[in-house]
Amino acid sequence: MTTVTSNVRKQTIARAMAEAIAQEMRADPRVFVMGEDIGQLGGVFGNTRGLFEEFGPERVRDTPISETAFIGAAVGAATDGMRPVVELMFVDFFGVCMDAIYNLMAKNTYFSGGKLSIPVVLMTATGGGYSDAGQHSQCLHATFAHLPGMKVVAPSNAYDAKGLMISAIRDDNPVIYLFHKALQGMGWLGTEPASIVHVPEEAYTVPIGKAATVREGRDVTIVGITSGVHHALKAAEQLDQKGVSAEVIDLRSLVPLDREHVINSVRKTGRLIVVDEDYQSYGVTGEIIASVVEADISMLKSPPKRVAYPDIPIPFSRPMEQWALPNPAKIVAAYESMVK
Amino acid sequence: MAVDIIVPKDLWEEEVEGVIVAWLTEEGASVRKGDVVAEIMVKKVQFDILAPAEGRVRILKKADEIIRKGDVIGRIE
Repeated sequence: MTTVTSNVRKQTIARAMAEAIAQEMRADPRVFVMGEDIGQLGGVFGNTRGLFEEFGPERVRDTPISETAFIGAAVGAATDGMRPVVELMFVDFFGVCMDAIYNLMAKNTYFSGGKLSIPVVLMTATGGGYSDAGQHSQCLHATFAHLPGMKVVAPSNAYDAKGLMISAIRDDNPVIYLFHKALQGMGWLGTEPASIVHVPEEAYTVPIGKAATVREGRDVTIVGITSGVHHALKAAEQLDQKGVSAEVIDLRSLVPLDREHVINSVRKTGRLIVVDEDYQSYGVTGEIIASVVEADISMLKSPPKRVAYPDIPIPFSRPMEQWALPNPAKIVAAYESMVK
Repeated sequence: MAVDIIVPKDLWEEEVEGVIVAWLTEEGASVRKGDVVAEIMVKKVQFDILAPAEGRVRILKKADEIIRKGDVIGRIE
């Protein structure tokens, strides 16, 4: 019996995020963490585990349930030279603290004539699929990506999760860090095995604003982010069995958006499907398609397709929610409708 | 000498089953004593399973398999 030898150290996205924050906290005393249940509990999604034990309550601060207060405080602390990593537990809760996010955090650098930098990392959980209903299951990618003044990143696997977190903490601009609950590696939310990958122990960065080709192909480009990448990879497997070679691109960042990467791929394949768990209308899917069409419409062999969340509140009922979510079968169907 | 990776009998109190959420290593990978090699879940609570010794991992129970306290889920060789 042969034994494979390796030094593979797999991590969940939750662990990779916590490790990245811990390494940056050791390296830089200005980095601290705030949020609801991020201290002794280690975060309801596991992404601040171990930090309270290592760094104590001064640098890992459990807050009251007032997002307005503690996200406003993070913006103030960043303005004053600190580098806060602040958690909005569910992205769905953004409504109460949006003024701090888009009028203060996103704009203070501009309004100060460039004199102030606001190095906040706002990490927040997205996504559904586990029957948590319409106020705990949204992605809201486009809501944040639409507003100028903030970078927006969203990893699909643990390697990118660590590297993007370190890049986000070191960035002098505000960064919205979206992590999808179904990829987090918390069993009760369902776990996508392909998000659990080898993660080097040492600190490293993944550049913000760079997409990655996660599968190469010739016949169609499938673009996704977070859960959409995993749906796309599974669809690509199914298409492969039908003799279709699909290329899959993980955007990894929404702002800055790596339009060039997508355009170059579509130039090769001539077909484009964009997958997004955020609502379809006025969303990421439309932005990607518009970017390609504006660059050169003649490279498209057929109209591009979107596989996104329908424009409805997210249902609680499992069959209804599963009906609404993007999935590999919908992507395969989208491809088949393009070549009919 | 091989050392079993055992789900500790005192990890949780009730007589309920758990499940392996994920292996944080792979078949044949080398680990150090004390590395987290697997995550298991009981109800909605997650627990770390640590490597009992240094060596190469052999996986005996896969992710998503049901486990009980005291089960051998792998081995360090």
